[in-house]
Amino acid sequence: MLQILANGIITGGIIAVMALAFTVVYLPTRIFYIALGGVYAIVPFLAWTGLQWGWAWYVAVAFALVIGVMLSLGCELLNHAWLEEKNASSGTHLVSSLGIYIIVVQAIAIIWGNETKVLRQGVDGVFNLAGVTLTQAQVGGAAIALLTIGSFYLWLQSTKLGLEFRALADNKNELALRGFSIQKLRLVAFGIAGLLSSIAALLVSWDVGFDPQGGLAALLLAVVASIIGGSQSFFGAVLGGILLGILRSQVVWFLSAQWSEAASFAILALFLVLRPQGLLGQKLRLESES
Amino acid sequence: MNYFLHLGIYACIYSIVAMSLNLAVGYCGLLTLAHAGYFAIGAYTYALVSVKLGWGFLPAVGLGMAIASVASLAVSMSAWRFKGDFFVMLSLAVQSLLFSLFYNWFKADADFGTWANLTNGPFGIAGIPKPNIFGLQFQTIGSIALLAAVLAIACGVICWLLVSSPWGRLLKAMRDDELVARGLGKNTRFVKMQVMAIACAMAALAGSIYAGYVSYIDPSAATLDESILFVCMILVGGVGNFKGPLVGAVLLIALPEVLRFVAIPDAIAANVRLGIYGLCLVAIAHFRQQGIAGEYRIE
Repeated sequence: MLQILANGIITGGIIAVMALAFTVVYLPTRIFYIALGGVYAIVPFLAWTGLQWGWAWYVAVAFALVIGVMLSLGCELLNHAWLEEKNASSGTHLVSSLGIYIIVVQAIAIIWGNETKVLRQGVDGVFNLAGVTLTQAQVGGAAIALLTIGSFYLWLQSTKLGLEFRALADNKNELALRGFSIQKLRLVAFGIAGLLSSIAALLVSWDVGFDPQGGLAALLLAVVASIIGGSQSFFGAVLGGILLGILRSQVVWFLSAQWSEAASFAILALFLVLRPQGLLGQKLRLESES
Repeated sequence: MNYFLHLGIYACIYSIVAMSLNLAVGYCGLLTLAHAGYFAIGAYTYALVSVKLGWGFLPAVGLGMAIASVASLAVSMSAWRFKGDFFVMLSLAVQSLLFSLFYNWFKADADFGTWANLTNGPFGIAGIPKPNIFGLQFQTIGSIALLAAVLAIACGVICWLLVSSPWGRLLKAMRDDELVARGLGKNTRFVKMQVMAIACAMAALAGSIYAGYVSYIDPSAATLDESILFVCMILVGGVGNFKGPLVGAVLLIALPEVLRFVAIPDAIAANVRLGIYGLCLVAIAHFRQQGIAGEYRIE
């Protein structure tokens, strides 16, 4: 029982990182950023290629992270910033983002092929803690996820940029009136989203492997997590991610792995009907809902 | 010749799907991603009752359409309260549940079509008989093409009559301002149920033709990727009028055939095709938000 809970919390931590990546863009800009799934999908392939070229693992990881962040920044600079200038609707943002996602995934499939790959070589080391067996990849993944989430909140709560960022999420027009650059802060948002999703992608691919199609599933899971947790705050995403991870590990244990997707979406439907603002959200007035 | 008939059958199937999706997306503004699930409901129903019970084409298709329109309540009832991103997420939830059903209603030691193993899971159902209407067999590809064309034209006529009727105007009014439509005493919830039932039943009809023609169905017909492809098709073609979705469907059929003439290796042809679709979506978002021949811009 403790074992299932531990596995759930660890997968949940990684989902939480991805959910945070989605929320970081969604909250300030209201863009349903599907192309984040493309970033998630391409990063492990870049790291894998770096390793194939004989680079040290930290060089390969740094290379993959940098390209992931640049791809995400490119989405904003070349796509969403233009659309925003034209006052495009949120549906248009969604459609263009979906288009970018499809292009990225097909490019990956053309360059690297459709097979599942793994980053790690050989069998993983195993830890035993109070009757719970964990692999090295799980412990490392949990630690890095915790560190990432922790440093994000530290940045958000204690730096000046973090303060501006929270203001952007709260009321964008007011912030622009006070002379802050919305464009710059949006770039920060997309950069952070790219970084967080790259980290999540590397953690998952280190543990279980990766293929070109995995990005959308991971992104949707993140969206479900952020809706469950409450998509009005940055904390909700983390809470929702961990809850979702625990739930999915229970489903895998008691039913089967094939039902875990359906179970996550069933939970989403339940939440949207019974508590659409999520666990941490407050009910808004009708006219301020978007 | 057979090659052109083959393309024609696919064009008919995709036209029916595009027209049905247009009713939901173009006339109601409900961007649903569950349509492949309903397509597969039609295909599986036709496959099961024709293989197991020996039903003819018409009753089998009728049953599939009935099941799909009842199941469409899952989508239309979510449309009661949600629109925009949240509705998209809920339709995705429906899609995921339907796919899980097709994929997981499976038991290795049971015969398919029984209660324990209804859909034969990932292995799919093979050997589906060709369509058969009152003893009239549609065995050759030409006759199936004729059947598909007749059904597609029938669907087209029905869609045309629906959207040019007062009911069609009510749909547009509800899409543009639901509050006003309700203020005028229209029951918008019931209208959404009607629209989704019609759209999903038509998708099920397309699925039945597909199953009857290909003679094989597996859960890959119900994946999210298929739904996204359907939605791409009508977004590229355009929604909100009669011709937009047809343009999209023809484009979906024509694109791989054009690529055939460019020297692209077979191994990556499918990827290139999808990539071009992605490119089309981005281009449409930037330069022509109503699609090639459409009227309505997605909100």
